[in-house]
Amino acid sequence: MPRAIADYESTVRKPDDFDAFWEGVLRQAAAVPLAPEIIAEPLRTSDDVLVYQAFYSSLDGVRIAAWYCCPARATGPSPAILYLPGYQMDPPIPKDWARKGYCALSVAPRGKLRSLRQFNPGYPNLLTYNIVDRHTYGYRGFYVDAWRGIDFLLSRPEVDPARIGVTGSSQGGGLTITSAAMRPEVRAAAAGVPYLCGYMDAIELTRTYPYEEINDYLRMHPESRQAVAETVAYFDGINFADRITCPIILNIGLQDNVCPPETGYALFRRIRSADKRLYPYDGHGHDGGRQKHQPIVDGFFARHLASGPRGAAE
Amino acid sequence: MTSTERRPADFDEYWQGALDELRGYPACPEIDAIPLRSTEFATLHGVRLTSLGPYRLFGYLSIPTGRGPFPAIYYAPKYQSVLEIIPQGTANRQRSRYITFSLAARGQRNADTPYAAMFPGLLTDGIDDARSYVFRGIAADSARGLQFLLTRPEVDPSRVIVVGNDMALISAASQPGATHIVTTPQLFHDTVDLAPRTRAYPLEEINDYLRAFPARAADVRRTLGYYDLRAFAPRVSATALVMAGASGAVPDATSLESLLTALRGPAILHVSEQSSYGDGLFIERWMAEQAGIGDPEEILPEHWRSGARD
Repeated sequence: MPRAIADYESTVRKPDDFDAFWEGVLRQAAAVPLAPEIIAEPLRTSDDVLVYQAFYSSLDGVRIAAWYCCPARATGPSPAILYLPGYQMDPPIPKDWARKGYCALSVAPRGKLRSLRQFNPGYPNLLTYNIVDRHTYGYRGFYVDAWRGIDFLLSRPEVDPARIGVTGSSQGGGLTITSAAMRPEVRAAAAGVPYLCGYMDAIELTRTYPYEEINDYLRMHPESRQAVAETVAYFDGINFADRITCPIILNIGLQDNVCPPETGYALFRRIRSADKRLYPYDGHGHDGGRQKHQPIVDGFFARHLASGPRGAAE
Repeated sequence: MTSTERRPADFDEYWQGALDELRGYPACPEIDAIPLRSTEFATLHGVRLTSLGPYRLFGYLSIPTGRGPFPAIYYAPKYQSVLEIIPQGTANRQRSRYITFSLAARGQRNADTPYAAMFPGLLTDGIDDARSYVFRGIAADSARGLQFLLTRPEVDPSRVIVVGNDMALISAASQPGATHIVTTPQLFHDTVDLAPRTRAYPLEEINDYLRAFPARAADVRRTLGYYDLRAFAPRVSATALVMAGASGAVPDATSLESLLTALRGPAILHVSEQSSYGDGLFIERWMAEQAGIGDPEEILPEHWRSGARD
């Protein structure tokens, strides 16, 4: 592995009012009733997995859709997984997590399919939507939508509130970082190839979409570079990392063509948790060594979330 | 081909009917430059064009700066809601050497009025009746996209690569002009027999559907017979790269053998290295070699270049 990748020093600096900014956002979000709702989805339900469409309200009153799956034969409170989606992907139905014994919520934050009636920045475009204003930047609500997934899980009687984990890859990895940072209910986190970490580093390290959206924007609006840098500093996963105290694992690909591995190392160094481990995969790109890594993720969550009233997920 | 998905006797008539219907609707393209996504090395355009239905589609057309003609890559409609300019993770510089055209079929974002597809859900939408199955229209959309690309004077017709999942192969079979294809079968290779071997979407849609509507199994099988890639393969004379899943994946190299042998043109099969880097690099270099691009390094992502691992 090239030393330059592992030793890369991020240019990200945390704004002085970072915590105050997010406290203000959370105050606004708290004023919106969650109004959770589930609707059975018989077409996708099978003997081993119950599938539901889920909905809840988030910042600005935006209604968020999700898929919610539960083990069909659970007899008591189950551990839960909050699954967060990639930038390009359609949020999947998390049947595989339910088959492993978890109640699993797969969120479609605003702008994603099924959550785009009130907010639709188009594709590509989310990354630069109102990027010169942190108070209206597209990811402001998008982040909160992910975090409110925890509230949805806490509203469910079949979920053990002491055993909630969060995971996802790429954008889902970045959202895993911010969720673990902002929600103390998260007991374990597994972030894959995290996006939204080192925004301004990444646009120099790689010239591929989605980060290329920012380069496109700056080519059109070169005068806005400082405003862009100031905004994304409030949203950069690296700046959330020192709030993470739960056990956490990260996997990155050393040939990642989407989220530069340099930013993964920079993020990892900033994570405060004492129980943290980085898995770098040489010979892998944005897949982050998924095939080899998934058993590690399964074992990690089983270790941290299994012990409970029913000992599920073992 | 398995006994369950024999080529329907009226396979040719079914598709001729769709293509005849498509011919009844002129494309009527509208092309608008998109300055935000244009660079010193390529200009991006949004393209609206009509397909069977009639249905208005949307695509992204990127044309390199300089004197053509240029080799072209047609990114056939994918199985996802969003439309990318070029696939996520591809070096933006690819657009300096190739014309690229990506198309949203009916139901995808930017082409989701009046029909907005669900994912999952699209694969089984109307599947119990071949005449109304949504993929009849999507296949026509994909063919229309290739037709449109070939009308562009900047395109070198001797170097037209169609890239995608099953739609890449079906487009090359339905519409003359593709010289090369890169296909990663995902939806329509031996579908009825392979779906029960996986619990992963999109094929899980078939399992869901047949569990919910077991009485429709024969109808589903009949419809999918019109879409099986092996029935299209004898019509494909383009040089083909077929991407197979790793051993045990659906479909893997073993299950794709019959497709490979059915293709009329030269074809090779690449078994997934279970690495987006390994597979992606193989495809980029294969396309560059086929398109006569001598030095593909500068159109690779930074972390894939030769010096990046030193």
